[in-house]
Amino acid sequence: MRVVIAEDAAMMREGLVRLLTDRGFEVCAAVADADALRSATAAHLPDVAVVDIRMPPTHTDEGLRAALDIRRDHPDVGVLVFSQYVETRYATRLLADRPTGVGYLLKDRVADVADFVDALTRVASGGTALDPEVVGHLMRAGQRITGVASLTPREREVLSLMAEGRSNSGIAAALVITPGVVEKHVANIFAKLGLPSSDTDNRRVLAVLRHIGG
Amino acid sequence: MTALRAPFTAAVLRRAVFCLVGVVSAAAILAVPALVPALGALILRATGGMSRQPAPAVAPIFLVLFPLTVALLVVLAAPLGRVTGGMHRRLAGRLLGVHVDAPPPRSSNRLGALVADGPGWRAVGYGLLKVPLAIPQGYGLFCYVLGPVNLSYPLWWPLFRNHPPGTRLGPVWALTPFGLLGTRTFAGTFLIAAAGLAMLLVAPWLMRAGTAPDLAAMRRLLGPRRLAERVRELQASRARAIDDAATMMRRLERDLHDGAQIRLATLAMNLGMATEKLGADGPPPDLRQARELVALAHRGAKDALADLRDLVRGIHPPVLDNGLGDALATLATSSAVPVAVSVDLPDRPAPAIETIAYFCAAELLANAAKHSRARGVGLGVAGAGARLTLTVTDDGVGGADPDGPGLAGLARRVGVVDGRMRVHSPAGGPTRVEIDLPTHA
Repeated sequence: MRVVIAEDAAMMREGLVRLLTDRGFEVCAAVADADALRSATAAHLPDVAVVDIRMPPTHTDEGLRAALDIRRDHPDVGVLVFSQYVETRYATRLLADRPTGVGYLLKDRVADVADFVDALTRVASGGTALDPEVVGHLMRAGQRITGVASLTPREREVLSLMAEGRSNSGIAAALVITPGVVEKHVANIFAKLGLPSSDTDNRRVLAVLRHIGG
Repeated sequence: MTALRAPFTAAVLRRAVFCLVGVVSAAAILAVPALVPALGALILRATGGMSRQPAPAVAPIFLVLFPLTVALLVVLAAPLGRVTGGMHRRLAGRLLGVHVDAPPPRSSNRLGALVADGPGWRAVGYGLLKVPLAIPQGYGLFCYVLGPVNLSYPLWWPLFRNHPPGTRLGPVWALTPFGLLGTRTFAGTFLIAAAGLAMLLVAPWLMRAGTAPDLAAMRRLLGPRRLAERVRELQASRARAIDDAATMMRRLERDLHDGAQIRLATLAMNLGMATEKLGADGPPPDLRQARELVALAHRGAKDALADLRDLVRGIHPPVLDNGLGDALATLATSSAVPVAVSVDLPDRPAPAIETIAYFCAAELLANAAKHSRARGVGLGVAGAGARLTLTVTDDGVGGADPDGPGLAGLARRVGVVDGRMRVHSPAGGPTRVEIDLPTHA
């Protein structure tokens, strides 16, 4: 799997290159600012780009803007936005037009190498990876929406994991329950939120997320 | 009885001296506008400008001299105003017991600050106002001096009546507020004496009435700024303080975000990778790499600690809790240029003032080390009463710009607590920066 990395802190960038190379990814380019990211993405057309939000020259949100540009210009390139803090607004902007092939994680998540690599793989193959922090914010914001309040704690856990972008089997593994039980929970959640539950596709879940996240 | 005793108290005598000085200085002030054109005329005459055919050199000389004189007057007016204002303030304090606070000192001795010196110009205004103010003072003084003289006429009269009989004498004249009184008889001198008594009795009140508006003008023009100006100044300094605080928070966030936070994230990543290399149980799949990653993480942890330590010191150096003296001594030991520290503080200033003084000293030392090429730096703090003065001197190349971003920023921070900074740094050196702070904000 081919990756482009944009991260301005040199030691973090080198660490990521090392980690991903070690895990069998092919790192096509590791750059330090948004413009270099745009051109590297256009040149290499990787499966996924790992993008730091705050980069030179303004150190505000140039990474996010570059990520949005990449999603517009290269729909096949997955984008994993990567930051030291999470902003719900950024998440909703990233998910706005198309909730596929996109991720938004805290940098802390690299500490759990397997989870991080899993998330990156998901994004590269068109899935979603949202940080539990982001999901938590969205869930709290969604409290006032009819149905969310009536979810059981277990259903809430399942909804959160779905929102993070995990598959049913992934959720089952995380909660140590069988996939069948997960499916039952998912059906209940859809019923309570008043959404059609015909398939269990992640896109459906992201519709939920957008529903509660506004 | 008090009315009778009033003219003979020390207080009235002092007031009379004040009035006398007032009249003299008013006369001196009046002389200035007369002096300048007179001097001009003198120059013209000396250079032959007044002659029928002026020498061709005269016009250019005059064209140069005239604006030069005007410019000189403009530059000198405010400083002179300050000097004479200070004199008047001291006189009022010593003679009348009325203490007017000194205005804030000039921000610097540069030409711009010399001309744009509000308190100086207000003192010039006071000087001009002194002319009309001195008139009632002079009148009171006149009564005070001539009252006793007139009162004594009956005493003098017999002394001068020793001429041969039949001599026709002119009248004896006396100057009173009711006009020139003349008398040829002994009885008449009593009329003059009565006028003198009235003058003497009324003189203290006249002088008091004459000095009252003067003192009011002094408070307004020679004292610290008026309330409205003070409010404006405080508003501006508050806005600067808020800006500085916001900038500081932003810088702190940046430093944490780009420093310790990223180091810790990298450290976590390396440990995460090391954990994988060590495996969950059994013999480690890749011990060599795991060791390498742990070593990397170890180094990262130490770097993160160093980063945090620097950051913490930048927020508030812990040694400052022991007092400014210890903090400055510690600061001096970490300077690249040798620093001689002298601290003379009778009392501990407020913590906020200590912090400001410390960071000013830190920045000035850093400046000296960076720009001055100095071989030695002197760092002194001396307290006197409710103010303390931080002095940083170096034997470097000088040329420090008080309006540059660094020093202007310092002046701003100092200004928030009504402190002042003076920079004396001629090209070629040496440099002397003085920061004057209140001990309690």
